[in-house]
Amino acid sequence: MAARPEAPAGRRNPAGLPRFLDLSAIRFPVGAIASIGHRLSGACLVLAMPWLPDMLARSLRSQDDYDVLLGTWRSPWMAPLEFLILWAFCYHVLAGLRHLLMDVGVGAGLRAARTSARIVLGLGFAVALVLLVARRLP
Amino acid sequence: MRQFTGQRAWLVQRLSALLLLCATAALGAFLLIEGPPGYPAWRAFARHPAGSTLILAVTAALCLHGWVGARDVVLDYLHRPAWRLFVLAAIAGALGLVFLRVLVVLAATLANAP
Repeated sequence: MAARPEAPAGRRNPAGLPRFLDLSAIRFPVGAIASIGHRLSGACLVLAMPWLPDMLARSLRSQDDYDVLLGTWRSPWMAPLEFLILWAFCYHVLAGLRHLLMDVGVGAGLRAARTSARIVLGLGFAVALVLLVARRLP
Repeated sequence: MRQFTGQRAWLVQRLSALLLLCATAALGAFLLIEGPPGYPAWRAFARHPAGSTLILAVTAALCLHGWVGARDVVLDYLHRPAWRLFVLAAIAGALGLVFLRVLVVLAATLANAP
């Protein structure tokens, strides 16, 4: 993070630590963006989870329910939501894989970590886009 | 909830991540080679003991992984004890319900005539 100006004395939290939340003055290196993206995509996926049991039930109940479910997800109106979930899933998996590799020491150096952060950010978006389009091809 | 904090949470997060990663790779490979399964094959898979066990294991891993991640995020951004307790309880309840409902759906699928 960049050098930060002193927080005003009046804005301290109960623990007595200075509070500093001027986001425009905090630098976000690519690793920070990758990390926030991992959290954001994870939060999206957790928020989507309560709908899973219902979709599983409908996919297994009958041929008609199965067709309706898949048809709903092919509708153009669902495309933005579908893209959000696809991005969250693809990005979360790729960023998680990067994290696990770093755990065992692969690519944990700063230079390699910055490169892989860029790759994962780009690839997550690209794979989600390809899946969105590929699913809608006849 | 003690089992799901500290080093054990870290381990649960990694192990569930590995299982979900394998499941994603297997599902991805299947869809790439075979395409969408179609209703009869999908239902037959869910009725097979190995298939329903796999669906349940993935659901369990998903709920555990979601719990550890959501808990980390809540503890980082929510500082008032009452809010923490409320939000964490809501998340734990919601994820537990997801697992139970998947269990019920699978049981119903097995119980119904083919």
